Amino acid sequence: MDSPTRRTATAALAAFALTACSAVGDAVNQPPESEYTQAEAYAPMEAVAAEAIESLADFPGFEQRTWGEMPCSHNGIDDPDYTNIEIRYSFSAEVSGTDQVREAYVEELREYWTAQGYEITFEDESAHNDRQDRDLAVRTADGITLWYSVAGRVTFMIQSGCVPVSDPSEIEYVPPTGGLEPGGEGDKLDRYFPDGIPTDQAAVDPFANTRPVAGPEPFDSPGSYDNLL
Amino acid sequence: MSDMSWKDLRGLDCAAVRDVGEQWKHYVAKMAEQSERLRTDVIDGHLSADNYESDTADLVREQIDLFTGRFEDDLSDYADIRVATTLVDAADALEAEQKELTEVVGLIEEHDFEIEGGPREYEVNPTGHLHRAIWLHLDPPQWLCDRAGVDKPSAWYDVLDQAEVLAHLTCLYDSANELCGQYQDWLRAIMSRAHDADDDAAAVLAAMREHPPELPPQFGATYDDLIDDYKDRLSEEVASEMEAIANGESDMSPEQVNEWWESLSDAEREALIAEHPEWVGPTDGIPVEARDTANREVLDDRIGDLDTRIASIEAQLATLNGDPNAAGMYGQSGADPDELRAELEELRADRDGLAALQDRITDDNGDPAVYGQTDQQYYLMDFGTEDSGQAVVAIGNPDTAENVNAYVPGTTADLQGAAGGLMNRTETMAYDAWRREDAGEETATVLWMGYDAPDTIFPEATQTKWAEDAADDLESFTQGVRATAEGDPSNLTLTGHSYGTTVIGEAAATEGVDADNVVFVASPGVTVSTADALGVGDEHVYATTNSLDPIALTPDFLLGENPNEEAFGGSTFHSDHGSWFTNNHSTYWDETNMAGRNSMAEIVTG
Repeated sequence: MDSPTRRTATAALAAFALTACSAVGDAVNQPPESEYTQAEAYAPMEAVAAEAIESLADFPGFEQRTWGEMPCSHNGIDDPDYTNIEIRYSFSAEVSGTDQVREAYVEELREYWTAQGYEITFEDESAHNDRQDRDLAVRTADGITLWYSVAGRVTFMIQSGCVPVSDPSEIEYVPPTGGLEPGGEGDKLDRYFPDGIPTDQAAVDPFANTRPVAGPEPFDSPGSYDNLL
Repeated sequence: MSDMSWKDLRGLDCAAVRDVGEQWKHYVAKMAEQSERLRTDVIDGHLSADNYESDTADLVREQIDLFTGRFEDDLSDYADIRVATTLVDAADALEAEQKELTEVVGLIEEHDFEIEGGPREYEVNPTGHLHRAIWLHLDPPQWLCDRAGVDKPSAWYDVLDQAEVLAHLTCLYDSANELCGQYQDWLRAIMSRAHDADDDAAAVLAAMREHPPELPPQFGATYDDLIDDYKDRLSEEVASEMEAIANGESDMSPEQVNEWWESLSDAEREALIAEHPEWVGPTDGIPVEARDTANREVLDDRIGDLDTRIASIEAQLATLNGDPNAAGMYGQSGADPDELRAELEELRADRDGLAALQDRITDDNGDPAVYGQTDQQYYLMDFGTEDSGQAVVAIGNPDTAENVNAYVPGTTADLQGAAGGLMNRTETMAYDAWRREDAGEETATVLWMGYDAPDTIFPEATQTKWAEDAADDLESFTQGVRATAEGDPSNLTLTGHSYGTTVIGEAAATEGVDADNVVFVASPGVTVSTADALGVGDEHVYATTNSLDPIALTPDFLLGENPNEEAFGGSTFHSDHGSWFTNNHSTYWDETNMAGRNSMAEIVTG
């Protein structure tokens, strides 16, 4: 049987491994440097989505778009200074049942993205009851991930990876792609624009206001994390 | 506390207990018919105002009506909700554990192990016979040789294989002990849940005995003085019962709470929500719509109260700053500025957390907000500011959804997270379920932060106390989901992340959770060494940890076995890790883990 002292020491070591409190560990624990801040990321993400949609023949139109976020972590703990954007487009239930979006588009996107030189990061095909589900995802050179997913609903997601959080006032509206009306019923961005979506603005040049940023500030590893976590 | 032994449980005639409960149900139905006859045949019949018109007749009719009302209330509250339901529920719960007990005792005996110790600390050890077979005769049983990868000697003269046994004695013994440990965990979990069910039933029946119902006053000289008081108390009775339920004094299960709630009139329910939202809001067993309405009211009040207290302290500090030596060391109020500042900081943190939560679940018109992606409303099922804060928020109504997925977060979970990153993750789970649902299905996704999560990885998250404190509440939550479900029971999944898996494991093994599936994501341990001990069936236990997650280094003695191990006996599914340059403990719902997200949604949507 381990002694209590030994157990405590091992517990501390395990916690040390999780938080990786070391110079090497700190490099590992940083959210990776990003090309964009949150506010800057939406436009290039929407642009790369629009390019993909334009490559698809006879596009039936999306039913809705939302902007979602997922937390990013530092030392395994959620870090409120960073966020992971996921722009979510989806077809209607009816369109989601067609072979065009369930099969043909998967192949068309594979061809298009391969031609663009994007790295395929995930592909899968599985049976679900009487349904065949498919997934295809690629990553662009600037770290944006595009995920076309065929399941009960067919959806198209564009993900930023971890980016520094921006003040809500800095986030600008970017019109949707795929036939959705800007600010229309399917353009569900109320959370980001509580005073109303500025639909009167002209379609923006997705790259006009972007610039690469240096990424997060280097993190000086403290001697102890006890009061920081 | 229950002192039921495993032999008591094995020999218990659960069917007989259930029969008694069913007989009480039958009795209640019959007696309710009698009371209805009293109203229709007597009060509105033979003794009606048409036949007897006088002050005395009015008094008699009122008296009969009061007695009939009391009788009906007691039939419902005591005979039906407490006695009958308690017996039926206890029989169901104990029978489920009895079934598992039969299985594990069979395995214990089959493997030549024995049960030792008392009813709360059972130990499973090799029998003397097995000891001798291993150590003395160098002839361990076939199952043990298979586990240890050793050839069993074919006869007493098979010296080569005996030599191999001799060389692997420690390995064989450890292997036997490992299996003993798993059966021990399983047995202890069964008995813990059985004791819990026994104690719960006993508490409900004891509470009934301690609070006998009050009867209307008897006719006589003091009747006029007493009857008004009796009526006043009658009108307050529902509120008193609600208060006892909310404070835990009634000891009723969520199922019984739901029966009680459904027995109230619409007016009584509305009055409770309006006048006592602080009791209605957090109570498992009350429908989610009602809880949401009540909790939003309380949330609004709580933020207002905090604003008032903050303003008061700010005013005190302003006074002290203006003339710190006005009177005494800390000014006229006698307050310590440092203490005031510390209190102010805490109040502001609570206020900001609650305001952020309110903002997240409320639209611009002040109505409940809707999660746009799935068109599901947010429901506030519970919240609090104690310690790190608590929040139970559903996206979609668990009472009406076909699937319910409750996400239990881990270390550092707090109110700000509940309104921010944790809710983002919950929404992602809701979205993933929505993507994979079949047509016409709905999944309600719940952020269950109904416990005080550890604030630090070390030392707090290496201790089980946070999970132990949470276990009863998580059990109650799952029972509440079952109790308030409209129509068929939902497919209920508990998804834990990190320390949240420890919470689920502890609750499942000690209290029991009424869930269909448990999913352990990035688990540091779930307090037991085998999936069987969790009481949901090992085929419904799932685990995943990506290959770069340092949580896998957590030693088993801290929080229990890693559920990803094959020996644990659950299923595992693959999760991709993210960048090599990130800590991969919290990347399971990121863009880098599409396979894992799909698998989780697959489990949740059945």
